[in-house]
Amino acid sequence: MEALMTWLEAQLADNSIFTLQTLGYYGEGLVTTVQLVALSLIIGLVMAVPLAIGRGSKHRWISLPIFLYCYVFRGTPLLVQLYLIYYGVVFVEGIQETWLWVILEKPFVPALIAFTLNTAAYTTEIFRGAIKSTARGEIEAARAYGMSRGLMLRRIVLPSAFRRALPAYGNEVIFMLHASAIASVVTIMDLTGAARFVYARYYAPFDAFLFVAAIYLCLTFAILYLFRYLERRLLAHLKPASG
Amino acid sequence: MADTPIPLEVRDITKRFGDTEVLKGLSLKAHKGDVITLIGASGSGKSTFLRCMNLLEQPDEGDLIVHGEEIRFKQTRHGREPADWKQVVRMRAKLSMVFQSFNLWAHMTLLENVIEAPVHVLGKPKKEAIAHARQLLERVGLGEHADYYPAQMSGGQQQRGAIARALAMDPEVMLFDEPTSALDPELVGDVLKVMRDLAQEGRTMIVVTHEMAFARDVSSQVIYLHQGRVEEAGPPEEVLGNPRSERLKQFLAPKH
Repeated sequence: MEALMTWLEAQLADNSIFTLQTLGYYGEGLVTTVQLVALSLIIGLVMAVPLAIGRGSKHRWISLPIFLYCYVFRGTPLLVQLYLIYYGVVFVEGIQETWLWVILEKPFVPALIAFTLNTAAYTTEIFRGAIKSTARGEIEAARAYGMSRGLMLRRIVLPSAFRRALPAYGNEVIFMLHASAIASVVTIMDLTGAARFVYARYYAPFDAFLFVAAIYLCLTFAILYLFRYLERRLLAHLKPASG
Repeated sequence: MADTPIPLEVRDITKRFGDTEVLKGLSLKAHKGDVITLIGASGSGKSTFLRCMNLLEQPDEGDLIVHGEEIRFKQTRHGREPADWKQVVRMRAKLSMVFQSFNLWAHMTLLENVIEAPVHVLGKPKKEAIAHARQLLERVGLGEHADYYPAQMSGGQQQRGAIARALAMDPEVMLFDEPTSALDPELVGDVLKVMRDLAQEGRTMIVVTHEMAFARDVSSQVIYLHQGRVEEAGPPEEVLGNPRSERLKQFLAPKH
């Protein structure tokens, strides 16, 4: 470890911008970005499953609120949602006296809420489309073999819909990663936040942002690779036999 | 024998879609080992009749008695519905259906398709279900295909797989809805052979089909439907060998 540090220091000796300190900012930014994106994606995914099922409900008082929620969060810019949640909550009467304020005061949780609600809305629509396109015959077979609605959903509709939704959901994950760059506008030191800081400190926009762009590219590549792997495994059933 | 309940009895089923009455009071009694074939031109209601038997379609009137248990219905705003869906689920598990377009679950391998309902609907132990499924796949000539996905098999293989899936339920009655109509001609033979074997071993079957040779050789009773009514019914040698009505004669005449 020590040898690595001295090596790194030697490499950075002539470089005035990328010092161990600024690299440290990027490192912390990477951790923050990954935390923010991963958490919002996981919570959003968990929310989206029941929402997608409810969205297809024939009861209007279940499907309509979900439709409105998706419509609002897909119909407005994520940046505006972030501003509303981060700056807006301050104006909620009395909130500063409650325990909620302790977590809402810092930018991370409002950003997490905004990102989660946003990705949940998009994911709901992705899943709803996938659920809707379940082959009628397969549902009929499930009914004919005595499956209850719940069992059919759990064993037939959702497993097949999730698989079909996988490519579109992979796009959503990449979209969220890139959208998370706007977290820096509410003072979060994520990857882009770190780049902004380095840019401001050294007035070196190309160095600062090209470096962070490279990191985003690496992350995107990792996500692409993960989804390629998942698709190969989970969508094998859609490929015809190859001799 | 008199004590064992009749596997399936339907009485005076009617069904309308909007203003068209597609079934005008159809009855049928399937005793153990019966093979009943339903024939008729398209639009005669034979598939709808079959789908009423396991309530994939809700009949507007009429009774349904599965293995001595009468299905209870109630009137709702939307028409007649089963009063107790648990009863329907129980009854469907006794009648397994083979569809025209196979309807295997595409995200599962053939073996998973066959054990799915026995394990999750009947609550059979998985190990037992797998052993049984392998036997059945062997029987329908798909022993080697257990790990294939439906999309990787031919239509004939898929349909034989679907028959294995139906057999895995140990059904009282098997319902076949035009099982060979979606198949290429050269694949029909294999599926029909499996069905003939099933008939020979005494399975109770109700088959909607256009395969007259199958109806003639295998069935114990042939029912000819025309516009939602039974036009002729009886043993195949009578109905097919000596049709009385003009319509049936025309229906059976070789098409040029």
